[in-house]
Amino acid sequence: MDLNPPAGENYAHPVVCFFHVIFKAAALAFYILSALFFDSFVIIFVVTVLLAALDFWVVKNVSGRILVGLRWWNEINEEGESVWKFECLDQESLARINKKDSWLFWWTLYLTAVLWLFLGIFSLVRFQADYLLVVGVCLTLSIANIVGFTKCRKDAKKQLQAFATETLASRFSSTVQSAFTVV
Amino acid sequence: MSHSDTIPLHSTSQSDIDEIENLINSNPSSVLPARPPSPPRASIPISSAPIPPPAFIPSNLPAPTNPKTAPVPSVSSAAPKPPLPPRPSGPGGNISASGFGSPPNTLTEPVWDTVKRDLSRIVSNLKLVVFPNPFREDPGKALRDWDLWGPFFFIVFLGLTLSWSASVKKSEVFAVAFALLAAGAVILTLNVLLLGGHIIFFQSLSLLGYCLFPLDIGALICMLKDNVLVKVVVVAVTLAWSSWAAYPFMSSAVNPRRKALALYPVLLMYVSVGFLIIAID
Repeated sequence: MDLNPPAGENYAHPVVCFFHVIFKAAALAFYILSALFFDSFVIIFVVTVLLAALDFWVVKNVSGRILVGLRWWNEINEEGESVWKFECLDQESLARINKKDSWLFWWTLYLTAVLWLFLGIFSLVRFQADYLLVVGVCLTLSIANIVGFTKCRKDAKKQLQAFATETLASRFSSTVQSAFTVV
Repeated sequence: MSHSDTIPLHSTSQSDIDEIENLINSNPSSVLPARPPSPPRASIPISSAPIPPPAFIPSNLPAPTNPKTAPVPSVSSAAPKPPLPPRPSGPGGNISASGFGSPPNTLTEPVWDTVKRDLSRIVSNLKLVVFPNPFREDPGKALRDWDLWGPFFFIVFLGLTLSWSASVKKSEVFAVAFALLAAGAVILTLNVLLLGGHIIFFQSLSLLGYCLFPLDIGALICMLKDNVLVKVVVVAVTLAWSSWAAYPFMSSAVNPRRKALALYPVLLMYVSVGFLIIAID
């Protein structure tokens, strides 16, 4: 992964990218700056966790779908077992995804988790258990999204490989067949 | 991959290209089928983009055979009928459903549809858990569609109400209430799992969260009325309601000889929350 956005194209879905980033940034900013303005821990907790939860929902349901064409969820099947489902767009649409969009998506996803981890370490060092609670909740939400989407992407890659080998195999066999018919 | 770029040597290589293009363009077998709009959610409509490709339609049909369609009459908040053909979606002001063309599954539905679907799922889960319904005998199926948004709202609401009622140490009250409820739900679930019960972690968390709804109402009433006797009565009633809501799910998850071991901690947690509500002034 490179540090710079791929050049030469613009964001395909600027509104979605904006929302993807805004809730994360708002949660982090509010948490960091609120100590200056608010005395009450309750407000800090509720607003930060609410923003983090909204961000989780937006990433999982909206920006994941639109920016990278992936989706994950959990279902309980008929036997009562829990099944994690991963869904991706078909290969042609996946190839058409805007590179800048997906760069932004993955980078912000990882970056927020790292930032929350730092903030957690700070509050651990200062022995602030209640702030650690806030950071813990936000970190859990970020990590859940990261794990879900990474698994989804691996699944999509596996399917791509399977599809490619299947295509290659069928092409090879039909080439062989055509070679035999010529001969 | 376009035809104009390739110069077919003879007719069979053209058919190869056709074959490959067909594979690419209509590949329901190599992509995980789109999320079937209806099964476990008998009562929630999926209104996605207009035309479903034939491969996806069969996945809509399992819903009618699923026993969950039975509660549709009692869950009146969501769509009034089981969604056999996917309803075309109202355009609304939506951000998405662009660029990705044909697969009309949950990947391309408009954002507003996702919001509506999640909201109606919360309401239907609440009704299933807290109000009497025909599914209480088969709890594993009843909360099939677990979600954690409802429990999140209820826990935060309870914490806020308790914090508001407290005259001193509001922040500590909130933090303690939230941590107690969240950790309590996790520990109760672990308890059931360790007793050899068959329950799914998130489903149980979801259930315990939804069962807090009566206590939320009780806390709200206690916040508004400060009389101790009223508080005790209200808390007792809502406590009984919460326990009644949680009972069938927890008890059916474990071996009958261990039912009491699974249920007692649940009751204990709700009783302690009840005391917290009464004691706060």
